[in-house]
Amino acid sequence: MQEITSYLAPRSLDEALQAMATGDVTVFCGGTDLAPQTEAGVRRYSTRLMNIRRIENLDGIEEKDGVIRIGALTTISEIRRHPLIAGAAPILAEAAEHFASDQIRNVASIGGNICNASPAGDMINPLLVLDAAVELASWADGAQQKRRVPLEHFFTSPQRTVKRADELLTSVTFRKPAADFVGRFRKSGPRPALEISTVSVGVGGNFSGGVLRNARVAFGSVAPTPLRARHVEAALEGCKLNADVISAALVAARSDAKPIDDVRASAWYRSHLLEVFLEEVLHHVRGN
Amino acid sequence: MSVAIEISFTLNGRLVSARIPPTMKTLTMLRDRFGLSGTKYACGEGECGACTIRVDGKTQNSCLMFAADCDGRDIVTIEGLKTPTGMNPVQKAFVEHGAVQCGFCMPGMIMQADYLIANNPHLTRQEAQRGLEGNLCRCTGYTKVLDAVESAVEQKCCGQC
Amino acid sequence: MEQKVTASTIEKKSLIGQRIKKPDAPDKATGKTRYINDMVLPQMLHGKVLFAGRPHARIVRIDTAAAARLPGVHAVLTGKDTAGLNFGFVRDNVPLKNIVRCEHDEIAAVAAESEDVARQALKLIEVEYEDLPGVFTPEAGAKADAPLIRDNFPGNKSLSFEFRHGDVAAAEAASDFIVDSVFRPHHVTHCCMGTSCAIADFDDNGKLTIWTQTQYPYNYKMDLAPALGIQPGDIRVIQPPVGGAFGSKLDVYPYEPIAALLAKKTGRPVKVMYSREEEFKASPTRQPAIIHMRTGCRRDGTLTFRTADVLLDNGAYTSWGPTIPVIMMRTTSGHYRVPVVDFKAQAIYTNNPYAGSFRGYGNVQTTYATAQQMDMLADMVDLDPLEFHIKNAQKSGEITPQKSFLRECVLAECLETAAKASDYSKKRKEYAALRGAPGRFKKGIGLASSIHNAGGAKIHKSDGIGTILKVDDYARVTVITGASEIGQGIDAVITLIVAEELGVPLEHVTLVNNDSDIAPWDVGVHASRTTFIAGNGTRRAARKAKAQILQAAEKFFGEPADTLELRGGSVVREQCGTPLIKLDRLLRQMHFQDEPELVMVTDYYEPKSEPEGAAHLSDHSAAYSHAVHIAEITVDTLTGEIRVDRVTVAQDVGRVINRLGLEGQVEGGIAIGLGYALSENMQLERGILKNSCFRDYKLITAPEMPPLEMHFIESDCAEGPYGAKGVSELPTIVIAPAIANALYNATGVRIFDPPLAPEKVARAIAEMRQRKL
Repeated sequence: MQEITSYLAPRSLDEALQAMATGDVTVFCGGTDLAPQTEAGVRRYSTRLMNIRRIENLDGIEEKDGVIRIGALTTISEIRRHPLIAGAAPILAEAAEHFASDQIRNVASIGGNICNASPAGDMINPLLVLDAAVELASWADGAQQKRRVPLEHFFTSPQRTVKRADELLTSVTFRKPAADFVGRFRKSGPRPALEISTVSVGVGGNFSGGVLRNARVAFGSVAPTPLRARHVEAALEGCKLNADVISAALVAARSDAKPIDDVRASAWYRSHLLEVFLEEVLHHVRGN
Repeated sequence: MSVAIEISFTLNGRLVSARIPPTMKTLTMLRDRFGLSGTKYACGEGECGACTIRVDGKTQNSCLMFAADCDGRDIVTIEGLKTPTGMNPVQKAFVEHGAVQCGFCMPGMIMQADYLIANNPHLTRQEAQRGLEGNLCRCTGYTKVLDAVESAVEQKCCGQC
Repeated sequence: MEQKVTASTIEKKSLIGQRIKKPDAPDKATGKTRYINDMVLPQMLHGKVLFAGRPHARIVRIDTAAAARLPGVHAVLTGKDTAGLNFGFVRDNVPLKNIVRCEHDEIAAVAAESEDVARQALKLIEVEYEDLPGVFTPEAGAKADAPLIRDNFPGNKSLSFEFRHGDVAAAEAASDFIVDSVFRPHHVTHCCMGTSCAIADFDDNGKLTIWTQTQYPYNYKMDLAPALGIQPGDIRVIQPPVGGAFGSKLDVYPYEPIAALLAKKTGRPVKVMYSREEEFKASPTRQPAIIHMRTGCRRDGTLTFRTADVLLDNGAYTSWGPTIPVIMMRTTSGHYRVPVVDFKAQAIYTNNPYAGSFRGYGNVQTTYATAQQMDMLADMVDLDPLEFHIKNAQKSGEITPQKSFLRECVLAECLETAAKASDYSKKRKEYAALRGAPGRFKKGIGLASSIHNAGGAKIHKSDGIGTILKVDDYARVTVITGASEIGQGIDAVITLIVAEELGVPLEHVTLVNNDSDIAPWDVGVHASRTTFIAGNGTRRAARKAKAQILQAAEKFFGEPADTLELRGGSVVREQCGTPLIKLDRLLRQMHFQDEPELVMVTDYYEPKSEPEGAAHLSDHSAAYSHAVHIAEITVDTLTGEIRVDRVTVAQDVGRVINRLGLEGQVEGGIAIGLGYALSENMQLERGILKNSCFRDYKLITAPEMPPLEMHFIESDCAEGPYGAKGVSELPTIVIAPAIANALYNATGVRIFDPPLAPEKVARAIAEMRQRKL
C-alpha cells in the first residue's frame, strides 16, 4: 500500500495549486469515485492526498456576461435544484435527476464527475450539448496560471484527460443558451437513477420554425470517451426536423458510435439503444 | 507509515476528536473508533446506503467519505437520531408499520427517510421512492418502508398545520 | 381461599390476525442491535481467506512463509492443514483446498491482529497453479470426453432423482395439445445485506463456541463437526442477530470451519467476515437448471400428463442446490391436477460456483416452467384461460401422484379472487388483440400460480421442534425455543401466540432462541415451516402452562378449571369474564404454597407428515398451500424495459396470525422474485463472476417496486396453529412466471431463460419483428 506522507485540506486555491505544482498529489472532493476506485485497487494513491472541498469560492453557480459558470465543487444536488440551471439549462438538471443516488448527489461534485472521465459520466453528456469548456488552473512563476479547454477536447481515453498532474479543474462554463435553445437528455433505465448508463444521448440546439441550428449531439458509453457526435450534428444542422432528417441522423450515428461488449450490455444493444434514444430525443425536440 | 491526521468534529451533538490515517473512511472510524455500530457496512462503494449518515444536515454514504473530511463538521448517525424521550417519529413509524425485518439496512434507510422528511414536509410516496433509491433492502420489498414514511409525513404535517 | 372480586369484567380479545410489531424492531430502528458483523470479542483476531480466483487448477506450490513472518499474523493455514476434514452433503468439500475446482475455492487462511494485516498477509502468500481444462455448463460436463472434476464421480455425475407415475405414452396419445419447451433458470444469489460472518472460540476443554448466522443451529453442529474433526456435541452455536439469510445459511460453508480452525490454532477468538465482493463470489447461489418440460391436455382443457427432464449445474461442490429436485418434482407432479408424471433430474459437477438453498428452493425454477406452460396451453384450448386453470385446479381432499394430501385446498378460490380483482380475463384478451397494433409501449397481464409445502417438509428424520415455556412469579413468560429468528418475524408470531393463550400483554413475553446450549431442537428456518411448526409448538406449550395455572386456580378457588380462562393478566370466569385473581399473584401463590410448584413446561411437537423417502411417495408436509399472482406490466418494446404496474396476489395462508408480518413476507418475497424475474443475474464467464457488486448485480430498488394488492384466503388448516399455513416462499416462487406470461400477452415474446432483462427482451422483440418482415 502506498504510504501517504501528507494530507492537505487547503482553504485557498493558491495553496492548493502550489501544493500541486510539484505533482504527486491525489485530489478529491466528495470522494465518491476515489474511495471505491482505490478500495478496488483500480487506482493508487499518490504520496500526498488533497481534499479540495474546503477551497473557498470554488463552488456555486453564477451567470456573468451571458456565461454560466459552475464552480468545480458544486454538488450534483445543487445543480439538480438550482433555479438558474432550471431556467437556462434544464438539460443539466435532467441529467442530475438521474445521477446515482441522493446520498451521492449530495456530495459528488461536478468537477469530480468530469475529471473522473468515465465514458458513462452522466453530467458530461449535457455539458457537451451546452458546448461547455473547463477552466484548468496551475501554479507557475509565482502566480496562478489558467487555461480553458473545450470539454469536447478534454477527454483522451477512459479515466484519462488532457489535464496535467499539476492542474486543477476549477470550473465549467458555457454560454447561456438563447431563448430558442432546446436540450434533451436520455439515459438507459430501467431504474430512474443508481444506474451506470448503458447509453446516454443528449441533443441540443436552437430550434425555431421546425429547424435545428447549432445542433449539438453528445453520446455517452458508446466509445472510450464521452463524445460529440459530429456526423449526426452534420446530418441535422440547419435542417427541418422531419422523418427523413431524423432517419439520416440515425444512420449518421453509426459513424460516431463505436460501442463495445461489456458486462452491462452488448455492442448490439448499445447501438440499438443509441438509435432508439436519438430518435426519441429528436422527436422530443421537434415536439417542443 | 502514513501520516496520521488529527481531527475534531461534532458527533451526535458532542465534540469529539480522533487521530486517524488519511485513507480511513468515516464508516470505519465511526464503527471502530467510536463504537457506533449502528452505521452498517454492506457494500463499501456507495451502492446500498446502509452506511448513510448526516453531515452538516445532508445525508451521504459514510463508506465513501474520508474520515479526515469530518474535521470541523456536524455528524449525525442513527444513534444520534433518538430524542431524549426515545425513538424519533420516523423511527417510531418504521417500527409501527412493520418496515423492519432483519433490520440491517434500516439505520441507513431511516437516516435517509428522516432527511427526506425534514427537507420536504409534504413528501409524496413517489418522491420518497426516488429519495430512497440509494438504499437497498433485501427483506421488505420497500412497501412497508414507504408506508412508514407516508405516516411520518402525515404526522409531521399534522403537527405543523 | 375465597377472593373478593370487585373489578369489572374482562372480555375476550383475540390477537389472531392483528397487526403486531416485531419485538426487536425498536433496537433495530435505533441502531442499538448488535449484529454478528458488529461483534468484537476481547483478544479477537481477524481471519481472511485467500481465494483461488481461477476455476480449475492444481496447486503446484504454495509458500506461506512470508505471510507467517508478517508482524501481527498469528496463524496461516493451507489445504495441508485441513486434509481429510471432509464435509458437505456428499463429503466433497474441505475447508481449504489442494485442488481448485471453482473461482472462490479457499486456498489459504490467515488470522491476524487486524483485517488490514490479514489482507497484507494474503498478498504475501505465493501460489503457483497449473490450470486445468474446465467445465462450465452441465451439458459440457455430461459429455463423454469432458474433463473430470472429481475422480470418484465418473461422468461428473452428482445427485440424481427420478419419479414416475402412470403411462406417459398412453397419456401423450390421448392428448390433443402438447407444449414442449426448454427453460433455463439462471444463477442468482441471496445478497443478504449483512455479509457472511462467523466468530469462533475454543475453550480449554476443547469445546467450540461459534457465533454464526446459521438458520439451522442443531443439524449445523452435525455438519460442522467433520470439518473440524471434533464431535457435534462439542459445539455450542450462538446466533446473534443476522442481516438476512433467505436460505443462504442452511448449510456449513467453508468460512465457518476456517474461522474455527484459525481459532483452534491461535487459541484466540477469530472473526471471519466477507466484504461485499467476497460475498458475491463465495456465497451460495440459487440452483441453475435446464428444464425440458412437456405438458399435455385434451381439447376440453383437461391436463393429461407432464414430463420434466432436468439437468442441474451442480457447481464444484454439493450443498443444498442439487437436492432441489425433491421440491421440483412435487411441483411437476402437483401443480394442478396432473394424472401422469415423469420426472428425471441429474446434477452435473462443473467449475462454476455452487448452489445452496434459497427461498423458494427449486420451486422458483419449476414454477417458471409449469406456470408458463399452463399459459401456453391456455392459448391452445378453446376455453377462457381462467376456466382452463380452474378446471385443472385441485380441490380439498385430493391426493397428488406423489401422495401430497391436499386437505384444505383453495386454489380455485385463489384463482377466482385474483382474476376478479384484476379483471384478468378481459384484459388478457384485449392486450393480446393489441399486440400487433402500432405503438412502442405495450401492456400485458399474466397469471401464474404454484403449490408449495406449507407445513414443513420432512426431509430429515424429524421435522419437529422443542419448546420450553416458563411463567415466572411476575407473570412474565419466557419461551425457549429452537425456532431461529432471521428477520422473518417468528419473534412476533411466538409472542402473539403466548399472549393469545395466556392472556398476558405482548411486552411480557421474552424469547430465548439463539443458543444451542439452552434452546431445544429445531430443524431450522426453511420450507416455510417456522410459523406452522414453531407456532404449533408454542401454542401447545402455552396450553400446557395454562392448564397447570387453571388447575391451581381450581384448587385455590374451587371453581372448575374448564370454566376458567386467562385474560388481561388475570384468571377470569370464562362465561362472564369476571376476574378471580391477577396472574402474577396466582403464580406466587402456586410457588409459595405447601406443595410449591413453578410453571415451567416443555413440549416437543412433531408434525403429522411422512418422511420424504427414497421413492418420493409420501405426504411429506403437514400442509400444502397455493398462491396466484397476476402481474400487469408495461413493456417498452424498443428498450425492452418492463415496468411492473401492479401485482394482485391471492394466497392461501390458512389463517392470518400476524397480519403485519404476513404482508411483509409477501411483499419482501415478491421483491426477491422481481429481481429474479427482471434484473438479477450472476454473469459468469468460464466460471469467473464478472459482476460482483450491487452496481452491476441489480436488486430491485424502491422506485421499481409496484403496488401490490393482497388477498389472503383463509382455508383454515386443521393441523396448523389456529388454522395457519406457512407463507414465505410462495411470493418469491410465483411472480417471475406471472411477469413472463404478461410479457407474452403484451408482445408475443416468450422468454425461457430469466431474467427478463431489457437487452434480452429488446433483442427478442427485434428478432420477432425481423422474422415477421
